[in-house]
Amino acid sequence: MMRRKATVGAALGLVGALAAGCGGSSGDPGEVVFWDTSGPAESGVFQEVATDCARTGGYRVRVETVSFDQALNNYKTAAQGGQGPDVLRADVGWVAQLAQAGLIQDLTGTPLAADTADFLPAPLASTQHEGKTYAVPQVTDALALFYNKAQLAQAGVEPPKTWEELKQIAPQLGGDRALFLNNDEYYALPFLYSQGGDLLDVDSRTITVNSPEAVRGVQVAKDLLDAGAARTALDQPNSYTTMKAAFTSGDVAMVVDGPWAVPEYTQSGQFADPANLGIAPLPGKGTSPVGGHDYVIRQGSDATEASIKFVQCMSSTENQAKIAARLALLPTRQSAYDDPAVAQHPVVSAFRPLVADTHDRPWIPENAELLEPLQTAYADILAGRKETGAALDELARTYQTSVVPDYAQR
Amino acid sequence: MRLRNLLARHWFAYAMVAPVVAVLALLVVFPLLQGLFFTFTDINDTTIANPVLDREASYEFVGLDNYLNVLSGDPAHGSFWATLLRTVIWTGACVVCHYVIGLALAVLLNRQLRFRGLYRVLLILPWAVPVFISAFAWRYLFNSEYGLVNRVLEAVGLPAQVWLGQSDLALVSVVVVNVWLGVPFMMVALLGGLQSIPSDLYEAAEIDGASAWQRFVHVTLPGLRSVSSSVVLLGVIWTFNMFPVIYLITENNPHTRILVTYAFERFFSGATRDYALASTYGVLILSVLLVFAAVYRRAMRRQGEVL
Repeated sequence: MMRRKATVGAALGLVGALAAGCGGSSGDPGEVVFWDTSGPAESGVFQEVATDCARTGGYRVRVETVSFDQALNNYKTAAQGGQGPDVLRADVGWVAQLAQAGLIQDLTGTPLAADTADFLPAPLASTQHEGKTYAVPQVTDALALFYNKAQLAQAGVEPPKTWEELKQIAPQLGGDRALFLNNDEYYALPFLYSQGGDLLDVDSRTITVNSPEAVRGVQVAKDLLDAGAARTALDQPNSYTTMKAAFTSGDVAMVVDGPWAVPEYTQSGQFADPANLGIAPLPGKGTSPVGGHDYVIRQGSDATEASIKFVQCMSSTENQAKIAARLALLPTRQSAYDDPAVAQHPVVSAFRPLVADTHDRPWIPENAELLEPLQTAYADILAGRKETGAALDELARTYQTSVVPDYAQR
Repeated sequence: MRLRNLLARHWFAYAMVAPVVAVLALLVVFPLLQGLFFTFTDINDTTIANPVLDREASYEFVGLDNYLNVLSGDPAHGSFWATLLRTVIWTGACVVCHYVIGLALAVLLNRQLRFRGLYRVLLILPWAVPVFISAFAWRYLFNSEYGLVNRVLEAVGLPAQVWLGQSDLALVSVVVVNVWLGVPFMMVALLGGLQSIPSDLYEAAEIDGASAWQRFVHVTLPGLRSVSSSVVLLGVIWTFNMFPVIYLITENNPHTRILVTYAFERFFSGATRDYALASTYGVLILSVLLVFAAVYRRAMRRQGEVL
């Protein structure tokens, strides 16, 4: 969930939480306030599309850019007090939680829930909570293996199809300079899924994070480090920055990251020519978690009608295609991929097959809370401070005592 | 009759004080009592009342459950005793370093030397930089791969360390940053204290043949006592509750978790927003500090200080 780690920290969040009470909704049914959590490189395009939507739709829109790290907190604080935006760009993992807290509107029966056949199934699943529709998918994403084409060509190797293969080609790439593993929770999921493991089994209400499959999966990551085929940053708060620095300076040949990182990578020297940035599926099949964002409408908004029109317009095929063509963000509508400008986009077309091959996440209110304790456990495992099985057993206990107390331990 | 007399004589003072009392009651006493009340309930963001959404409060009175959960030291509720111990270590290490380094610098700067004004300005700088900027700068310095600290260590032949990993070194790192941030205040406060010690005391001591160390122990330290006791008390309270340094540099690392950062995690950063548990931590932190302040004041009073 917190894929982009806090670069602007929590203290700002506190200030934000206080300020949130003053910002946001105008209480005017003709004006839609939209909280946009996209990055600085992206928000301009969203602003433009939103303005167009408002002009053709006959309402006004005010786009407020908020930091992704702090948006959930600020939204909750504001919405509890009847303030906040009319429309929020929410991470897919937040929807069930906000729905359960009664902070977003049930959209079942509105035009937004009527036409959903065109949406990709994985992001669409994130909009449902207890059989009702609470959101509209905005963008989707998946993790991929990013590689430095020049370095791989020089070593005479292809991007690996399995993690075993990576171990074999690592010596040609300079041993642990082959891959940088981010020791962050979201980036642990592909390994956890890789041998058939999962965090929870929602149907049987069981915690499965310490199942033999999950343990074997996470161990794959540790084995890569032990075999000298990958490196990692042992200081967790710096991990994502260090990974980016190592990749953009040419110190490592491969990293695991998502489409949101492309603009940053292409700004660096190594990838000044974007053609040098290779994007391959993650080794293993169907191991990338489903990511992305949804539009939600605040419960108690005075501009519900205009907000529905706004979300409809923003998530239309035409606008999704426009956003995808300009920002390389992945559309959630199948029809948007057929747009010629999108189909020709190198990043989008590289990610297209990956999005169809993602691993479902449990769309339960506690979704977001599952990741935080995983971060600590994964960092301990990669640092060699705890044995994989023991760390995951401990994690399962944490889940049961403080995240999903009504689930059984396996 | 007496009351009327009192009012008549002092009406102006009461009128002046009334707004302050009202504001304090509204901004301090009321939230404090509300927080205290929350600790006896199971309030969180799904059970809180919301007049805007026409939702009734559905939290229930749970008696002392929150306190029992926290005081049991259970990891699910923040391992209270281990966290308290870490908080005490953190506070002690920071305040001792603050005081010792601050005093040394103050003594140094109290002498006549060239560019004294310049040194004073430079040494006060860390205090003038906003905390979050310092925190992020230090985070880069401590980066185990690209950080300056490790580069320097390697240059002098020492092994590089993982400063901000999940080990006790992370606590050492945040102590270093907090000491760097807090020394200027101590230095300035103690410098003020030093300048108020009459110079004839030193002259008299010198004539009596006291060595530099004897002058420091028998003139400087006693002369600083009143300043020291207040800044140490303040320092302990601030450091005990120092949230930004720890949270911005190490995020939710269990090895640097202190009581306030855990309360914050439960209130804001965790998805549940467990208001009841966070309030319980708040009340416990307040109690610990009140006990400390009371004991400290008594100890000071015994030494003849009025705080």
